[in-house]
Amino acid sequence: MKRAIRALSLALASALAMWTPSAHAQDAVKIGVIEPLSGPVAASGNYVRMGAEIARDWINAKGGVLGRKIDLLIEDNKSDPKEAATAAEKLIVRDKVPVIMGAWGSSMTLAAMPKLEEYGVPMVVETSSAATITKRGNPWIFRISPPSEMEALGLEKYLKDFGIKQADFLAVNTDWGRGSVGAFGDLLKRSGASVGAVEYMDQAATDMNAQITKVKAGSADTLFLTTSVEQITLVLKQAQEQRLTRKVITTGGSSSPSQLIKQAGAAAEGSYHILFFLPWFPEAMPDGKLAKAFVDEWAKRGHPFEGLTEGFRGHDGVLTAVEGIRIAGKAEPKAVQAALWNVNVMGLNGPIKFEKDGPAGKESGQSKPSIFIVQVKDGKIALPAFAAKK
Amino acid sequence: MDQLLQHLLNGLLLGATYSLLGIGLTLVFGLMNVVNFAHGEFYTLGAYAAFAALTLSSVNFFLAIPVAIVVGALAGAICERCLLRPMRGQSIDTVMLVMIAVWIAMQNAELLGWGGVAKSVPTPFSTQPLVLGAVSVAPLRVFVFVISGLLILGAHLLLARTKLGRAMRATFQDHETAALMGVSIERIHTITFAFGAGLAAAAGALLGPVFLLYPSMGDLASLKAFSVVILGGLGNFAGAALGGLVLGVAEELGAGYVSSGYRDAVGFLMIVAVLLLRPSGLFARAERVG
Amino acid sequence: MTRVGLLLGLAVIATAPLWVWNPYQLHTLIMAGIFAVLALSLNLLLGYTGQLSLGHAAFFGIGAYATGLLTVKLEWSPWIGLLASAVLPAIAGYVIGRLALKLRGAYFVLLTISFAGCVSLVSVNWMDLTNGPLGIPGVPPVEIALPGLPALSLRTKAAYYYLVLAGVALAYLVCLALIRSRVGRALVALRENETLAASVGIDATHYLVLAALISAGMAGFAGGLYAHYTRFVSPEVFLFTYTVTMVIMVVAGGKGTLAGPVVGAVLFTVLPEALRAATSWQWQMLLYGVLLLVVLFCMPAGIVPTLRGARLRGRTS
Repeated sequence: MKRAIRALSLALASALAMWTPSAHAQDAVKIGVIEPLSGPVAASGNYVRMGAEIARDWINAKGGVLGRKIDLLIEDNKSDPKEAATAAEKLIVRDKVPVIMGAWGSSMTLAAMPKLEEYGVPMVVETSSAATITKRGNPWIFRISPPSEMEALGLEKYLKDFGIKQADFLAVNTDWGRGSVGAFGDLLKRSGASVGAVEYMDQAATDMNAQITKVKAGSADTLFLTTSVEQITLVLKQAQEQRLTRKVITTGGSSSPSQLIKQAGAAAEGSYHILFFLPWFPEAMPDGKLAKAFVDEWAKRGHPFEGLTEGFRGHDGVLTAVEGIRIAGKAEPKAVQAALWNVNVMGLNGPIKFEKDGPAGKESGQSKPSIFIVQVKDGKIALPAFAAKK
Repeated sequence: MDQLLQHLLNGLLLGATYSLLGIGLTLVFGLMNVVNFAHGEFYTLGAYAAFAALTLSSVNFFLAIPVAIVVGALAGAICERCLLRPMRGQSIDTVMLVMIAVWIAMQNAELLGWGGVAKSVPTPFSTQPLVLGAVSVAPLRVFVFVISGLLILGAHLLLARTKLGRAMRATFQDHETAALMGVSIERIHTITFAFGAGLAAAAGALLGPVFLLYPSMGDLASLKAFSVVILGGLGNFAGAALGGLVLGVAEELGAGYVSSGYRDAVGFLMIVAVLLLRPSGLFARAERVG
Repeated sequence: MTRVGLLLGLAVIATAPLWVWNPYQLHTLIMAGIFAVLALSLNLLLGYTGQLSLGHAAFFGIGAYATGLLTVKLEWSPWIGLLASAVLPAIAGYVIGRLALKLRGAYFVLLTISFAGCVSLVSVNWMDLTNGPLGIPGVPPVEIALPGLPALSLRTKAAYYYLVLAGVALAYLVCLALIRSRVGRALVALRENETLAASVGIDATHYLVLAALISAGMAGFAGGLYAHYTRFVSPEVFLFTYTVTMVIMVVAGGKGTLAGPVVGAVLFTVLPEALRAATSWQWQMLLYGVLLLVVLFCMPAGIVPTLRGARLRGRTS
């Protein structure tokens, strides 16, 4: 027993001795970034990081904020909520960041939220789509990405053009996939269409043939697909193998159509994709010049073109955070939180301005992002005819 | 009926890939008693090796597979020689932990080296599916099925018919006697582990083009491999081959007719059933290796 | 020396919130404590019965969900939740034990993995019960409400640290009592030589099931502590990495000892955080794997047994 205590204290002391107090440049404004940089969605997390780094460099080139440079402190949440919470704690307590951007997946964001409340530090949510994030009554959350319900509303105006009578759903078995199925299912029912089969796939699954065979046996005319580009590639290839001839609409904005064309080839032909950034038509974005500059800078850094459809999130997130600091006049969390309500800035996706969402008195901020649709036609990305008109 | 046929075909093709994953592990786990959690990492290594050969040095697609096998076998040999041999006397748990550390190190090294973006492997096969009546299948998958079968057959023949194979089986049945008979125990251990790693790498090189390449692709592979090994019986080669097919078909039918969300549960429940009712494996014969 | 050492060690641990210089490190210690309870539970099976369970994350997760569901959906007191977080997994452990402990070695391992896999899938798919991947946010903090006094919410880190410390002490004492009792001796006998033990009348299955039951309950209790600390429960609690981490802590710390898992828990919780602070995210886990290999090669029997052996040799020389 004594040995236990002694060994334990020794281990404790030596481990704690390994820590040194944070040694960052004293004058830089630090912004925390929590993304999944390893694991099954490492690609997406890294694209967001790359976009954030471009924003940081642009802002610093223009003099930074409040006369100081900005510094991004990047943490990997390993797609594990426990890691997301720990990373948030470390960024807030050890690095004393006034604002964080993260954490990509909804579970990770939800796990970090109690820390935000505990210490009073705001977080800009750049990707998560679960409705509960802004409805939980956490006044430190400011989301610039659309919840699934908002995304479904974005599709509403095109529904007649699509002419959907019955649609099947194939979604990744996470909060994102399930939320999407719910939101788009409700949209269909509201508009008089019906929902056919609803199938799920595990996030790490590579063989979806069973689900595709089931979908094929039904009589729907459309397939809604919600997952990230790797699984979309596999689904499309396997659908081609089984000769599934449905209209395919991918949701969630993580479909990276350029990568799809490269990796799925002819299997991707004809598919539609809901996106929040159009790197092929930067001039069509609300701020065409900014979009073009971003696309060019991304290419200059040698980043894969396919990553642009997600990388913009990192840029807009950092932009929002920095704007909050600028309006606050100081890099202090509570001031930044108050200031974020007054942010009115043009990002790559469009205007960023927060509205109240959630229970009264403890509202979170939710912006209304722009929603776009593209189609893969003749091996290239095109705006669908009906979308180009409007 | 069409749906059922397609499901069965899917299941067989999927099962062949599981068999390939399982036979490498059944040697290492069944014969050497090493709980090789890094098995999936040799699979990943093989996939990336084939990818590197194809894209960096424009090697012919069909040659990339032997390249991957060689890389995998070499890595396995090094791993055995440097990490497992010094640990030979230690408990099975410590050895298992060594393989866990290798798993962590290898996967993060892949992430560091290749990045997290998934890569697709170019193949010389057409993407137009072959249509056989009511069912259709991609030519690439038929190729993978055939090669997997050949590899399994080849490995079986090596174990059953060659002098090396006899030496391997003898070593793991009875160390001392085998040594007395002139078998170099150390060499056999290294060769066996390398053999298992090479088979895993072959699976990676074959399956990489069917799916996609990313650093964590080995995690699922490891899990399926362990399931197949149990279904077939530890050290039971033919059992692993058949067990893989059984698992693939069961999963496919479960996902198709019961629920796609609980798909993996089918495999787990089968394992539980086998373990409780017939722990030596579904296909245990009177004569078992090790 | 030893008595002073003991008192000093106890003082260090008991006053940690005062001298640990920031809440993030206290957070790490709290997580280390939760993992210590987990490691102690796994050690009961692995170290004392020799059976390896690679499904212990399932009991951890069941415990977390038990208390999460009871306190959020039924709004029961977190103390009852904590109790349930130990009892429900213990029942599961009993059932699994009864079924599985006819098996030994690798077969038992794979059965536990399959069990954990099934439980994980249920938590993701049974939306009505567990809310699926969205998880259960808003798990309330533990409160001490004595009649007549205002409720003391254990919301602050320092307060939670003491709760977890109490949990670790409780787990340690339960293990200690078990090992020193007849049950413990029977377990060790079974580990050393099962046939011989059976021949003197020790019913293997009975004792192994008992160990499984207590081990599962303890792991579930750790899950309950986790749920009330992080205040969010999601299917990720069943991630295999939790099991792997537990195994590393027990085996590298020293299985079959009581101090080993605790030392392992502290070291392998603090190590990734120290690496996080010292290196960039790209190198953190790679270095972790390498350091693990180093520890295993230098101290293959485990940290605590190796240190004890060194001390003994030091004494006799």
